[in-house]
Amino acid sequence: MTHFLALVTFGLLVSVAFAVLSAEHSTPAERLRYGLKVFGYFVGLGFLVAWVLYPLPL
Amino acid sequence: MSNQIPVRASSGRTAAACVASFVLPGLGHVLLGRWVRGLLLGGAITLLFVFGLLMEGHLFKPEKEWLTWFFSLLDAGIGLPYLVCLFADWGFQVTPEQAAKVTFEYGNNYLCVAGALNMLAAMDAFDIGIGRKA
Repeated sequence: MTHFLALVTFGLLVSVAFAVLSAEHSTPAERLRYGLKVFGYFVGLGFLVAWVLYPLPL
Repeated sequence: MSNQIPVRASSGRTAAACVASFVLPGLGHVLLGRWVRGLLLGGAITLLFVFGLLMEGHLFKPEKEWLTWFFSLLDAGIGLPYLVCLFADWGFQVTPEQAAKVTFEYGNNYLCVAGALNMLAAMDAFDIGIGRKA
C-alpha cells in the first residue's frame, strides 16, 4: 500500500464519520457536501504537506 | 438521515444505545432507529479498525511511558473489539520488521482514530437519545 492510498482511504472513512456526526448539517445533501469538503481538505492538505516536506533531507 | 425533529427516547433506551455503541460501532444509532447513520458510522469505524490491524499497526496498553496511556484510551474507545484483542493478546505485539513497514504508523493512527470516532459516535447517540439532536 502506498502513502497516497493510505491517506485517501483514511480521509474517505473519516469524512464519512464526520459528515454523519456533524451537528450543523441536517439534510442528506448538506451532509454529503460537508463530507466531500472534508475529504478534499484531507487530500489537498496531504499534497501540500508532502510538497513542503519533499525537499527536506528527512 | 433525513431532516428529522429531535425526539427524546426513554432513559433506558438512551443508556442502552450508549452501551451498544461500545459493543459494536454504529449499533447505538441503530437502536435509536437511525439505521442509515448507524450503518455508515459502523462501516467507517469498523473499516478503520480492520485496516489499522491489516496495515500491521498495533494497539496500545498502559505502560510506564505516559503517552501509552493516551493512545490506550483512544484505542479502547472502540469498545468490545479492543477488549477481545486485549484478552486474546492479539494486535499488541510490535516486532522490528513490523515497525519498519511503511504502513506501520498509518496502522497505529487508523486504530487510534477508529477509537476516537467511536467515542464521538457514542456521544452522538446520547445526544439523539436525550433529544438534543435529530
